[in-house]
Amino acid sequence: MRVYRDDQKFLQFRINAVLWGIVAAFVFLAGSFWFVQGVQADKYRGLSEANALREIEIPPKRGLIMDRAGKILADNQPSYELQVDRVVMKPLLKADKQRRQKLEAFLAKVLQLPPAEVTARWEKGSKAFSFQQPFAIAEDISMSQVATIQAQSIAFPEVHVVPVQRRNYPYGTMAAHVLGFIGEVNDKDLRQNKDLEQGDLIGKRGVELMYDQYLRGRGGAEYWEYDADGRRLSEYQPARKQPVPGDNVYLTVDFELQRRAEQYFAENEMVGATVVLDPRNGDVLAMASSPAYNPNVYSKRFTPEVYKTITSNPFKIELNRAIQGLYSPGSVFKIVMAMAGLSEGVATPDTTFNCSGGGHFFGRRFRCWKKEGHGGVDVARALKVSCDIYFYTIGGRLGVDKINEYARKLTFGEISHIDLDGERPGLVPSTKWRAEHPVKGDKKWYQAETISVAIGQGPLIVTPLQVANMTAAVANGGKVFQPHVVRYIDRVQKDGSYKRFRVPSRVLHEIQLSPSALADVRKGLWQVVNDQGGTGGNARVEGLNVAGKTGSVQVIAYSGWIKASSLPFKFRDHAWFASFAPADNPQMVVVVFVEHGGAGGADAAPLAKLLFESAFRDKVLGARLDLRNPETLEQIKEGELPLPATR
Amino acid sequence: MIFRDRGGPNIDWNFLGTAVVLACIGCLLVYSATFYSEPSLSTVKKQVLWVVIGIVLMIAFMLVDYHILFDIAPILYGIGILLLIYLMAFGRLTANVRSWIHIAGFQFQPSEFMKIFTALMVARYFDSNDRAYLDVRSFLTVMGIIGLPVGLIIMQPDFGTAASFFPLIAVAMFFGGIRARVWAVMLLTVAIAVPAGLAAMKPYQRERILTFLNPERDPLGRGYQVTQAKIAIGSGGIHGKGFTHGTQGKFGFVPEHHTDFIFAVLGEEWGFIGVTIVLGLYLYFLIQALTFAKHARDRGGTFLIICLVAFFVFHILINVSMQIGVLPTTGIPLPLISYGGSSTMMFFIAIGLMANVEMRRFVNA
Repeated sequence: MRVYRDDQKFLQFRINAVLWGIVAAFVFLAGSFWFVQGVQADKYRGLSEANALREIEIPPKRGLIMDRAGKILADNQPSYELQVDRVVMKPLLKADKQRRQKLEAFLAKVLQLPPAEVTARWEKGSKAFSFQQPFAIAEDISMSQVATIQAQSIAFPEVHVVPVQRRNYPYGTMAAHVLGFIGEVNDKDLRQNKDLEQGDLIGKRGVELMYDQYLRGRGGAEYWEYDADGRRLSEYQPARKQPVPGDNVYLTVDFELQRRAEQYFAENEMVGATVVLDPRNGDVLAMASSPAYNPNVYSKRFTPEVYKTITSNPFKIELNRAIQGLYSPGSVFKIVMAMAGLSEGVATPDTTFNCSGGGHFFGRRFRCWKKEGHGGVDVARALKVSCDIYFYTIGGRLGVDKINEYARKLTFGEISHIDLDGERPGLVPSTKWRAEHPVKGDKKWYQAETISVAIGQGPLIVTPLQVANMTAAVANGGKVFQPHVVRYIDRVQKDGSYKRFRVPSRVLHEIQLSPSALADVRKGLWQVVNDQGGTGGNARVEGLNVAGKTGSVQVIAYSGWIKASSLPFKFRDHAWFASFAPADNPQMVVVVFVEHGGAGGADAAPLAKLLFESAFRDKVLGARLDLRNPETLEQIKEGELPLPATR
Repeated sequence: MIFRDRGGPNIDWNFLGTAVVLACIGCLLVYSATFYSEPSLSTVKKQVLWVVIGIVLMIAFMLVDYHILFDIAPILYGIGILLLIYLMAFGRLTANVRSWIHIAGFQFQPSEFMKIFTALMVARYFDSNDRAYLDVRSFLTVMGIIGLPVGLIIMQPDFGTAASFFPLIAVAMFFGGIRARVWAVMLLTVAIAVPAGLAAMKPYQRERILTFLNPERDPLGRGYQVTQAKIAIGSGGIHGKGFTHGTQGKFGFVPEHHTDFIFAVLGEEWGFIGVTIVLGLYLYFLIQALTFAKHARDRGGTFLIICLVAFFVFHILINVSMQIGVLPTTGIPLPLISYGGSSTMMFFIAIGLMANVEMRRFVNA
């Protein structure tokens, strides 16, 4: 039987029917996916997180910090950390509701901690980390504690003893303010740096902070399969991410100079700071601040109570006095005044003023430190004997704004951009500054105030590093370097070799000083140390031309002349000594500051002598020879590593 | 004459473009699914190669007039049958089935190409048979054309691929025309054949059907794949976890995540938005193809397109449905997206054939 029909119409109708069928099927599928991905998404997200494979982080090995010759100042030591794994605990918690309380009591007993502290750490850890990630509840636990906990591993399988690397500073307080310390990230760190994760240990101060991006390395991860009871089965190898160790950082600091400087402060029970610079490239050869803290104590996870001890210490041990301590420069500032006076022509090298122990300036009487007076003084002699009258006269002729100009040129009043945190700019007054900071509504700068500034007193405040920078500029003929404490950084390559990045030696600016003025000032500074009657005789080194300037700063205003030793400690004068050597070819700048030391010549200069002797006579300076090699100097200049931004 | 058109070829770029976009999405998903476990990226590189070869084949099958292909269809069909018989006799076991032929380091599945050849045979048959309803003899002829390769493939035994021939039967019945009487007989046959078939099935095949009914009864057992795929898709949410940021797929929770379960990777990483986009692209593609079928020049062209569309619809619906447990798990790849040389080439050839019919739609060309 044949049936005739309109074939085209028949097919068109059926194709349309199929088309609408397909559309319906797709709409149904999209609806099903909406149900799974929209409505039930949270359920599946939870299941996804609890899935059998877990990511366990492997922390990277932090880079070492070494002195300029490679002596290790910060390394990593094996240690044990106690971690709680909530995934393992979850099924056990179902069986025993009191389990957490029991476990906390057990931990408090073993760790000898107050139960409240254990609870607090638990709360902190469980909030900071995802359910998947075990969190630390104690670190650096002893072998006997490890043994006790391992013995209970069947009763408490959710507690793991995990071998970790602990930051270690083998020389304790040595160079503490340069090295800084590390600590656990806080919320602010996490907000500022997206690379960081909860529980990371990062640099908190000093080089550890500033070079953290290099030292930190990159964490790896292992992926482990767990069964429904939280038992670890096997590792999923293909997903494994190897950690990348951090870069090794070499400081410009010389171990032996640093050690001797710190020992001097410690043995004499002095509070203060010293900065040793290489005036040819801005290397910081030593930077000590006394008293120092022990970074081993702070480089831990659980430290809130220890932080209190550091910040409440009466001697402010957390303060790096070399860059954060603000003091009047006193007579050390006379170097700046001499440079300014000669360069501006208010005095020539032959100009002589008569010092009679005091004089009237702008309607007020000012005393020289020497009651009897110095008689006729030119610039060299004024520096040598530190005559106040000479510099009062120069200061009066220059005016505060000219003084400000030269002080700023010679690095005062702003930060030096050293690669350390927390540097403070100090203050150099000017008429403009007074207009912005009036005293009791008075915006006028009185010329009598200029007289105080001329001998480094008054509102003028500086850091020891700034004094060192100024001394270096005078020593090297006017170059102001950006000082730096890191010499180079070694980054480990895939093949195990190291690639070296040098920190560049950067001249921030160069100031024009007349050569004759420079020569006269240097001559005066040489006489300070080497001439009979100079104030810095204590820094004299046999066979070495040391040039320097002493300074003593009144802490309280007193009338008349008082012997320093008769005053109580906190009212004694601060002592300064700024120096460089050899005078004709300067290679090292030493600035010593002793808080309430009494007199610069007596208390600060001996350390400079000690350091010059160490470097030039005992030749202890590590890698010195290679510094003297002009080629090496060239290499150091061609650094390619950006200095971290100053905070 | 290869070209019969008047003013240059009427190539529909929208249609071909949609296919290429889907293939590119496929390569991205294969990359995301494998870059973690396979840093050499050899899988994704191969897939890109397959797509390129596929596009070349597509152009080839577009340019040769499909009437010529109808003429040589019996030869192609015969070669395909011989290959299947060869496999049955000498085939190497890969993943428990003898469906691969290994040539010069590459392996391919003749059963994939057999789909094309069978479709050509069916279309050719309907081209010459223009009666509204199939009588018993012609119905049996069509069933024979389809049944021969299906039988051989079932013997491999590759249940999933064999099942993918059923859309041809549906096309024959729905578009060929069957009387109500015959429908009744068919349904009766199915009612008897399904329980009998279940009884005759291999245990793993039966297991698949049974776990489909309740995949979560044994998460690490047979329902594992579906459960894991659902977790992957569900955890992707609306926006997804981001390209290469999925965890379920790449850590091996979802087995076959770059082949049959690649859609789970899409769902996890690109979320509901990605799922909707891909489904939308497929739908757009199918609507265009069916439009071609409507203005094909002859019955043969219409039937060729319908047969090929049936393959696409079947693969897409089965594969996407099994991701979230709407249908049981079978080894059916997602067209143009799943990793796999034979299926990628097969689908590109199918696209070439559909464009071929569309190009030559004018009778007096």
